[in-house]
Amino acid sequence: MKEKSLDVAGQIVGGQVAKILVRQKSGKKLEIGDILVSEEDGSYLILQVYNLLYGSQIPKTTHELLAGLRLEGFGTDLEFMEPKLRNYVLAEVKAIANVSNNGTEIQVKIPKILPSFFQTIRPIQKDDLTFLTQPTNPVYIGKVRSGSKIIDVDVFLPSSEIFPHHILIPATTGRGKSNLVRIMLWSLLNLESTGALVLDPHNEYYETNGKGLKSHPNANKRLAYYTPNPKNGAKSLVINLRSIKPDHFMGIVNFTDAQWDAIRLYHSQFGENWLEEIVLQTPIQGSTVPLRTFGVLRRKFYLALGIEERNGEIHCRNNTFSGGSKGESTIDDIVKFLEEGKVVIADTSRLSDAAELIIGSIVAGTILEKYQYYKTTGELESMPVITIIVEEAPRVLGIDVLEEGDNIYSTIAREGRKFKIGLTAITQVVSLIPKTILANMNTKIILGNEMSTERSAIISSASQDLSEDDRTIASLDKGEAIISSIFTKFAIPIQVPMFEDFIKDKSVDEKKSKKIVIG
Amino acid sequence: MHKFAHLSDCHLGAWKHPALQKVEIEAFYRILDTCLKEKVNFIVISGDFFHSNLPDLGVVRMVVRKLKQVHDAGVPIYVVYGSHDYSPNDNSMIDILTDAGLLTKIKKGYEKDGKIKLDFILDQQTGAKITGLSGRKMGIERHYYEDLDRELLEKESGFKIFVFHAGLDELKPKALADMDSMPISLLPRGFDYYAGGHVHKQMMEEFSGYGKVCYPGPSFAGYSRDLEDSARGQKRGFFIVEFDEKVRDVKFREIDSVQYLYFEHDATDKNANIVQEELKLKIGTLDAKGKIVVMKIKGDLSGGKTSDINFSELRQLLNSKGAIHVQTNRYDLRSKEYLASISGDIGQDPKQIEERILRENIDSVKVSFPALKGKEGSGLAIELLAILRQDQKANERKSDYVGRVLDSCKESLHLEEIE
Repeated sequence: MKEKSLDVAGQIVGGQVAKILVRQKSGKKLEIGDILVSEEDGSYLILQVYNLLYGSQIPKTTHELLAGLRLEGFGTDLEFMEPKLRNYVLAEVKAIANVSNNGTEIQVKIPKILPSFFQTIRPIQKDDLTFLTQPTNPVYIGKVRSGSKIIDVDVFLPSSEIFPHHILIPATTGRGKSNLVRIMLWSLLNLESTGALVLDPHNEYYETNGKGLKSHPNANKRLAYYTPNPKNGAKSLVINLRSIKPDHFMGIVNFTDAQWDAIRLYHSQFGENWLEEIVLQTPIQGSTVPLRTFGVLRRKFYLALGIEERNGEIHCRNNTFSGGSKGESTIDDIVKFLEEGKVVIADTSRLSDAAELIIGSIVAGTILEKYQYYKTTGELESMPVITIIVEEAPRVLGIDVLEEGDNIYSTIAREGRKFKIGLTAITQVVSLIPKTILANMNTKIILGNEMSTERSAIISSASQDLSEDDRTIASLDKGEAIISSIFTKFAIPIQVPMFEDFIKDKSVDEKKSKKIVIG
Repeated sequence: MHKFAHLSDCHLGAWKHPALQKVEIEAFYRILDTCLKEKVNFIVISGDFFHSNLPDLGVVRMVVRKLKQVHDAGVPIYVVYGSHDYSPNDNSMIDILTDAGLLTKIKKGYEKDGKIKLDFILDQQTGAKITGLSGRKMGIERHYYEDLDRELLEKESGFKIFVFHAGLDELKPKALADMDSMPISLLPRGFDYYAGGHVHKQMMEEFSGYGKVCYPGPSFAGYSRDLEDSARGQKRGFFIVEFDEKVRDVKFREIDSVQYLYFEHDATDKNANIVQEELKLKIGTLDAKGKIVVMKIKGDLSGGKTSDINFSELRQLLNSKGAIHVQTNRYDLRSKEYLASISGDIGQDPKQIEERILRENIDSVKVSFPALKGKEGSGLAIELLAILRQDQKANERKSDYVGRVLDSCKESLHLEEIE
């Protein structure tokens, strides 16, 4: 074992498994989340602070008396004798990894031992984390963090593995969710092995204040941006109504049995024109669809998609859904981009929740069907993995939503892994997602959360034992996170960089080559 | 009120079969005759006027005859290259006819301050301002659109027409989902009319910030797929646009150049002999006289090979009933004894298959020059293949032919010299 500098932070003085007591060395300031190292014989244990408390050799009544004397002016110059010895801070720590080096390889195991009693411990150093190597198809997440101190060790996750196994990003507002997703997508723009569909309800990923994923050197080749108001090469988010099938509404818009019957009747009669014909209220000979059902269906389609009938023609409030010749191949184009391992951002900021989710539903359904087919032909192996990034995930994965029946998002959450398709679910309210779905989300990037019920839901579904980390999660500041994943040996505390700082020196202005002009 | 006609993708010279050549030229004649009858002020052709940049001279002679008539009537014809009649060194039949004054090629752009600038042509009679960009193979022209000085074009006042030969993402038919296309946001905004070509389907749509975006589709057919689409009811023709300061009316004028007969036959779970007999019986009931017949056979045969069906006999049968041309589509016909070697090409024409195979395999060729890689590389390959496919013309000396092909290759590759 290489000798580390003797920067002692404390000493183990007692405790038990998962609750080891460390006395803090005077002059040191241990923080919640600090990572410490206990050198053992031929290995070292990585420990993490999850609670801090006071310790003293002086009885409590003496403390109270001394405080009273000073407060009431009986002895303002009274001091403890040898205060550094008598009063101190105790840290509750837990062992999170046991690292050993047999000379040929570094092994990281879940610790099953206690550190040596009375062992001095020191803060973690960069060299202690050499086992955190860069995987194939790396997705950069941030740097290792010890408390609020950043260790200069980059944390990457293996794209091909984490995305099909689903990712959950739980956090409350302002804790850096969007920033984290931007950082991850930046990595994906370097990889051909992963496609991503981003439903962006705030239109914040492509460009915000001049900065965004569009600044990536590969943006021209590997990023497709769809928006209802495209400029300078952006693509129109226009989807032909004939691309929409009845199933795409499942779990997104609620229909009664009578309404479903009418929808199925129109679908069997008019095929891909079913939606237009319902909105136009085209009669079917011999059908008995009540006028009231038509009325409700038209109202629901208007609320969801913004489409209505005007003077016998279909009109769309937001130009995103269209009849006629527009947008016939938009879904095919998006699916093709994803199959090529590209990142597709759909600006849904002007759309209703339902419209946004229906677009995701159409794309997700199409890509799942294709990948299921590729599996039968043996082509799936060579296809990129695909992730679908959904904000406010309980809209499609919530307990109440799934009580009404499955939708494409829950299907992907349960079965997508077999077909290399996963969800990246972002939410403030994890507790609304069923445990069975949470259990399938094998990577959780946990940002700060002040709501204890939500922390409980996160902790109970984490890939590592985070039962003592309730306070740690509550105290996570903006950009601070914990990665709990089946693909990491332990829950890694990280600091996600600010996107604007991260892309400095990485973004480029497209170099202009000489143009040859034709007539 | 003024009028102009917008046509595209005539693909003159596409067909070798005399009957189809006749229909092709008749359709073109009928369009120009209608233009003269409607007294249009000018005509816009959005590319692929000819099927190749140096078409058969017999076809050219027929075309020139009609162009001369239109020219003498004082109706100018404004044209851009399409992906078929494009010439990298301005040596196409379009250029020859432009030099002869029968066509007006929309002006070339030029580069200034890293941007591509386009000038307008002013139509003297109407004051309409016309500009645009030619097409090239497989969407290589997209670079030009990306660098286009749109702001300058948008600032221009007056009635403006933008002519282009490219597919738009937003108006790409589902059946052509694999076609190269670009977003409409690469076109300059605020024009009164966008005269599109390249997409073989008639479409007219309006987009926020843009005027009418119209594709007339082919006047007859450039590919066999067009024949099938026409036979299945797709309309062929051109647009007549009425305008003063703005577009007032756009009408699609259908040209029924020929009658079609389309039928499908499902061969599923039948052997080749039964299918043959069924088709013969069916053909016996059809009125094929004077029609282009498109016959689509699909399904999985229960026995025998697809080649056991004697299509030649079926064709002869239809010809004996007066069909002027018979086209069979058997891409969806499979037998258990046949294993497809190229998947996913069902229903595509040879050009699309060629493009796709090049695109899919270009990355397996190790080259260091970026322009030869990826989409750009496959586009160049297609362009080179088109040049190398050109035949030696009658009375053309071999050395001239070699020189012409070499010059075209150099222009296409932007090379000084080929050793």
